[in-house]
Amino acid sequence: MNPSIKLLLLLVIALEISFTMIISLNVALVILAIIYLGLHGTKLKTLAWLLVVPLLPAIGLWSTQYINGSGDKTLMAWVLFTRIYAFVFTGATFTLTTNILQLADALEQNWHLPSKFAYGVLAAYNLVPKIQHEVKVIRAAGLMRGQQLSFWSPQLYFKAILVSINWSQNLAQAMASHGFVEDAPRTHYRHSALHARDWIILGLGIIGMQIGVFVIPWH
Amino acid sequence: MKWAKSWYLSDVILIALIGIFFGAIFMGTNYVYDVLTAALAPVGLAGLANELLLGLWCMPGMLAGYLLRLKGSATLGELLAATVEMFFGGQWGISTLISGVLQGFGSELGYIATRYKHYDWLGLTASAITTTLVTFAWDLAKNGYFKLQFWLLVLYFIVRFISMFFFGGVLTKLITDLLDRSHVLKSTHNN
Repeated sequence: MNPSIKLLLLLVIALEISFTMIISLNVALVILAIIYLGLHGTKLKTLAWLLVVPLLPAIGLWSTQYINGSGDKTLMAWVLFTRIYAFVFTGATFTLTTNILQLADALEQNWHLPSKFAYGVLAAYNLVPKIQHEVKVIRAAGLMRGQQLSFWSPQLYFKAILVSINWSQNLAQAMASHGFVEDAPRTHYRHSALHARDWIILGLGIIGMQIGVFVIPWH
Repeated sequence: MKWAKSWYLSDVILIALIGIFFGAIFMGTNYVYDVLTAALAPVGLAGLANELLLGLWCMPGMLAGYLLRLKGSATLGELLAATVEMFFGGQWGISTLISGVLQGFGSELGYIATRYKHYDWLGLTASAITTTLVTFAWDLAKNGYFKLQFWLLVLYFIVRFISMFFFGGVLTKLITDLLDRSHVLKSTHNN
């Protein structure tokens, strides 16, 4: 399935469950997401991890409504508890089956996102491991000088931005020297297709969601 | 897409790198959020952990807007940070993207209101105010705030604004002052 269409469908679902208060619908979405992930060969361990990740914020939202809410406190508490799980599991159907490269290709080829945005972000994204390492280096360098750089220290961010400026110019020059021209037409090695099938799935998904929200009398 | 013309490739990479760097730094703060949430949940004030730290998560957008001074830089900066966070398995799943766009656009509104001319305390304060308003409106629905008792809503709103102003305003100003003093910003746009 085309990644951009999949993302669009998931965003519509996420927006809609943010404004509805149907516990069963949230649970149904979680179950559908688990089935989808299962069909795509997601490991049980990963699924179990997805259950743990949002647990703390979910309990936080639950207890806030249960203790300090108004109206039907129990209902709202469980709506919010299941809603966050619906967000995480539907999100996982995207992030665990699609990578950012496929998404960038789809946005560039099917939706005419300027190529400098698609490839610029990809260039940065591929540096993630190096960035995580660099944060440790900056912190260690600070410690050597007796400076404890915490998340509220401007120096920590200042140094991170200095490195970013440096790397962004190096990367841009490297890309230019390999023949990347901004705003010039490009040919593509990897093709991202947008089939009629994708539009049909999007349509059916949105219709299914409306049935779930407005037609089925959930209890 | 007229606004896209004023962007250079190095700007796009820069803003994405900053978003990822900040994300990597924020990952070290997850324990603060977790401990605060766990401590406050039994008294039903877990949202305070979110309110206290929200300014930090909105900082990439406000800083990108202030630093690059291009139309859309605040929105794009925050959206990219959110995209990376989602791919690394954040606690909010797909809603991270919606929050990212809204947080970024909220910050952008502050710069729009000051016509992209006030890169000073006025612009930063306006941005902190609009970010607070937009994100709070979204949380009324998403986090069910509209069902909370009124005193708690007021408390959350005030704490959120203070957080936005401290991280997005004061910290951004301190960081950009350091950048000004080092004269590195003049050297951008030379590719």
